[in-house]
Amino acid sequence: MKVFKEITQPVILPHWGLDVLLLIPRIVCGYLLTANFGADKFGLPWSPVDANLGFFEVAFWFPNDVADYGGIFAMFPVFFAWMAAFSEAVGGVFLLLGLQTRFTSFLILCTMLGAIFLQQWQQGMWMMLPAMGFLWVSIFYLALGGGRFSVDYLISNKRK
Amino acid sequence: MKVGIKIMVFVLVLLLSSCVQQTKKQTVTLLLDVKGQKNISKVGVRGNNKPLSWDTDLVMKLRKDGLYAVTFTSETGYTFTEVKFTIDDTFEFQEQSNRRIDFHPSGKTIYKATFNEVK
Repeated sequence: MKVFKEITQPVILPHWGLDVLLLIPRIVCGYLLTANFGADKFGLPWSPVDANLGFFEVAFWFPNDVADYGGIFAMFPVFFAWMAAFSEAVGGVFLLLGLQTRFTSFLILCTMLGAIFLQQWQQGMWMMLPAMGFLWVSIFYLALGGGRFSVDYLISNKRK
Repeated sequence: MKVGIKIMVFVLVLLLSSCVQQTKKQTVTLLLDVKGQKNISKVGVRGNNKPLSWDTDLVMKLRKDGLYAVTFTSETGYTFTEVKFTIDDTFEFQEQSNRRIDFHPSGKTIYKATFNEVK
């Protein structure tokens, strides 16, 4: 109960204008994650028709890519692929809404660390930039929560 | 707290009820008419998804005068693939869209084309 409250309760900045600023990267990153990066490999109503994905299905090629990372990823490729795709596609929606922002940010942070160090590291800095961008944003929201303009704020206020 | 538990149960149910996209074995035969093209030494096809690639040719063999062919098989969840034919490593339809090959529901697809001409 207390843990849930602490995780949900956002940090409120001194002026509402600062919370508006905090809202912008949350909406942009949440939208990009769910509509662009996640929807191609995770079945959602807005996934491209050509991807031929069922609801909440992970794309057939993604577990194979994850297995190539080796180690524990080769042992449980479906689990890690599903979690990573879920973090982007559904996590993006949660981030956009500011719903369980810290928990969602943690999932996105883990996914982006994997993308940077296991997938893009050999491709050079330029290829790592998108994942790094999401990583920095997820760190901010992990610390601050969703801010004044989030579902978390409504839930927290209702619970007081 | 109840909201949190409901969300976790919802996510768990979805986790258990869905998983990886189903794949199907697709066998594709490509037939390419290259009549009108001169001094050909190599004909190939490039495209999305293994065994095709955009970097190297899947070499097509001469079946009869001016007609090249290749058959490949892939295990895929998609219902189509995209390709372009090459002659001596030169692409058809340069700076234009790829050819789209929709797989036949039976899993065996035959696609006939003429180099650099829309089907």
